[in-house]
Amino acid sequence: MKSNKHIPWLNDNKTILRFIRKLITELDELQQQLLELNEGDVLFTQGEPLEDVYLILEGEVRLTRTQADESDVTLTKLSAGNFVGLIAFTTGEPTLTTAKIMEKGLALKMKPQQFEQYLSDHPRLQHPLQQLMLNNMIQRYKSNIRLHAKTHLLNKELGKERDDLKKAYKRLEETQQQLIHQEKMATLGELVAGFAHEVNNPASALLRSAENLIEIYSTFEESDSTYKLFKLGLQSVPRDSTQLRKQMLTIEKQFPWVHDRSSVRKLAQMPENALEIIRSRRKKQPVEELINHFEAGRMIHNIRIASQRIANLVKSLKSYSRQDQNKEAYVDIRDGIKDTLLVLSNRLKFVDLSLKLDDIPKTCVQVGDLNQVWTNLLINACDALDDSGKISISTAHSENHITIEIGDNGPGIPPEIIHRIFEANFTTKNQGAKFGLGLGLPISNEIIQQSGGSIKAENLEAGGAKFTITLPIISDC
Amino acid sequence: MDDKIYILVVEDELEVMDALIKDLEEFESYFPVEAANNADEAREVIDYIIDHDHKIGLILCDHVLPGQNGVDLLIDLQNRPEVAKSKKVLVTGQAGHEDTILAINKADLDHYIAKPWTKEDLEKVVVDQLTDYVINNKKNLLPYMAILDTEKLSDAIRTNQMTDH
Repeated sequence: MKSNKHIPWLNDNKTILRFIRKLITELDELQQQLLELNEGDVLFTQGEPLEDVYLILEGEVRLTRTQADESDVTLTKLSAGNFVGLIAFTTGEPTLTTAKIMEKGLALKMKPQQFEQYLSDHPRLQHPLQQLMLNNMIQRYKSNIRLHAKTHLLNKELGKERDDLKKAYKRLEETQQQLIHQEKMATLGELVAGFAHEVNNPASALLRSAENLIEIYSTFEESDSTYKLFKLGLQSVPRDSTQLRKQMLTIEKQFPWVHDRSSVRKLAQMPENALEIIRSRRKKQPVEELINHFEAGRMIHNIRIASQRIANLVKSLKSYSRQDQNKEAYVDIRDGIKDTLLVLSNRLKFVDLSLKLDDIPKTCVQVGDLNQVWTNLLINACDALDDSGKISISTAHSENHITIEIGDNGPGIPPEIIHRIFEANFTTKNQGAKFGLGLGLPISNEIIQQSGGSIKAENLEAGGAKFTITLPIISDC
Repeated sequence: MDDKIYILVVEDELEVMDALIKDLEEFESYFPVEAANNADEAREVIDYIIDHDHKIGLILCDHVLPGQNGVDLLIDLQNRPEVAKSKKVLVTGQAGHEDTILAINKADLDHYIAKPWTKEDLEKVVVDQLTDYVINNKKNLLPYMAILDTEKLSDAIRTNQMTDH
C-alpha cells in the first residue's frame, strides 16, 4: 500500500494512537469517555443494537460469533489501535459478534453524536481518527481476503478427500459384490452336489433295471432267430436322418411287400444280418412281430446308453464340485479337466474339441477350485467363439512344473486390453451374460496364484487366444 | 389327387429324433413322417417333398441345432409360400424367452412343446394342428375323421356345405 506522502506518520497506527492519547490527556471531555477494561467484561453481545464504538488504547478484546449449532467461533483478537463495534457503528445494524475483554486495559468509548461533535470541535482529531478507521477497515479487508484464500484451499482439500472416500467406497462395494457372488456360487455348489447325489440313485436304478431286463428278456425268446434279432437290436447303432432316408428307399425296393411306412423305417435301422433273418422268416411270422424283437433290443439298448450317460454326468458333477472336501488332494489334474468337459458338454455341443492330454505326474491341488478355473476359461472360449469353433486343451510337464494350455480359434483378445483381463470388474461381456460380473478371470488368477502357479494370456499368430497355466508339482499335501 | 401331407421332424439328437418318430407312428398311415438332423437337411427334405407335389402339414422343430437354429429356420421358411401354411411347432427345452417371442411374432409359431414331452401331449398337439391344417387346405375331410379331431371336422364339413351354395 502506498504511503501517504504528505503525512507519512498517518499510516502508522502506533503513532496515531500516541497522538490520540496525547489529545485525550489535553481534552477533558475525552477523558470522561475513558473506560477501564476488566478481564472477563463483555462490551456487547451478538445481535445487540450498538450505541457506542470503542477504540482500544490498551489491552485485548476477543470477538466471537455463535454459530447456528450453538458452537462459538473466535473470529479475531483486537488490541491497541483497533476499533471495536465498528461495523455496527457504521451500518447501524445489530452486532455480528460478541466482544469480551481478554486482557485488561483502557478504551475510548464514543457515541455517534459525540463522535461528530469531537470531530467538529477538534479538527486535529479528524484525520487521525479517520485514518485509524480506514486502517482498521483495510486490516479487516486483508483478513477477509486471506480467509477467502484459505477457504478455497480447504475446499480443494475437502474435494480431494471426498473423491478418495468415493473411491474407497466403490472398492468396498466391489468387494461386497465379490463376496455375494462367492456366496451364491457356494450355495449353487451345494445345490448341485445335492442334486447330483439325488439323481444318482434313480440313475443307478435305471441302469440296473435295464441290465436285469436284458437277462429276463432273453428267457422269453422262443426261437433262435427272434433271439438273434433281439441281440442284434441290443447292439444297434442309431442311423442319422440322411442315412435313414437313403436306407428307407433301399428297403422299399427290397421289401415291396412291407407297406407300412413305420415298418419300413424300422427295417431301415437294421443291419444286413438282421434283414437276412427277416427275409428268411418271412413266411413263418408276420414281419411286424419280427421287427418288434429287434426293436425290443434297440429300446433296451437306448435305456442303457441314456442311463449310463446320466450316471457319468452325475459322477463328473460330484467329482467336479467336490463340495465335501475343499482341502487339497493328490490327483491327476487331467481327471478334473475331463470332469469339467463332461459337465460342460451341453455348452460345448457344437465346439470342435481337440485334446492332447499327455501324461503328467500327480500333484497336490484344490480340486474344486481348479475345476472352477477350467470352467471359467472354457466358458470364456465358448463365448469368444459364439459356441462354434475350435478349442484345444493340452497338458505337459517338466521336472518341477505342470503346464496346461487352453486355446481357441476365436477373434483373440484385443491387444489394448490384454494386460487388464485379470483385473477385477473389468468385463467385456454386457449385462445379460450369465453370471458375468467380470470376476471369472481375476478369481481364476487368484486361485492359480494361491496354488503357487501362474497364468498367462496371449494371442496366437494364427488367430485366437491361448491361456497357459503353470502349476508346481507338490508331492505332499 | 394323391398329394400326401407330411410331418417333418427336425432334431439333431438321434435318440430324441427316434422317440419323436415313434410317438408319431399312429399318424404315419395318413401323414408320412420325414426327419432331418439340421436346418440345411430340413430344407433338402422340404424341397424333395414339394418337388413331388406333396405338402407339409406339420413341422416339429427343435431349437438347438448345429448351424442355423430352429427358430431362425422357421422364420426363414415363412418366405416359402408352400411352407408358409404348414403348422409349426417348437419342441425344445432350450429356447429362451426372446427366441420364443421371435418365433411367435415372425415365424407364425402355432405351438410350443417343452421337453420332456408325454406321448399324450404330443398326440393332442399333432391332432389339433393337423385338423386345422386339413380344414384349411383340403376339400375332402372325410378320410381324416378316423385319425384327427372328429367333431371339428364334422363342424367344418357342415359349414363348407352351407357356404357352398
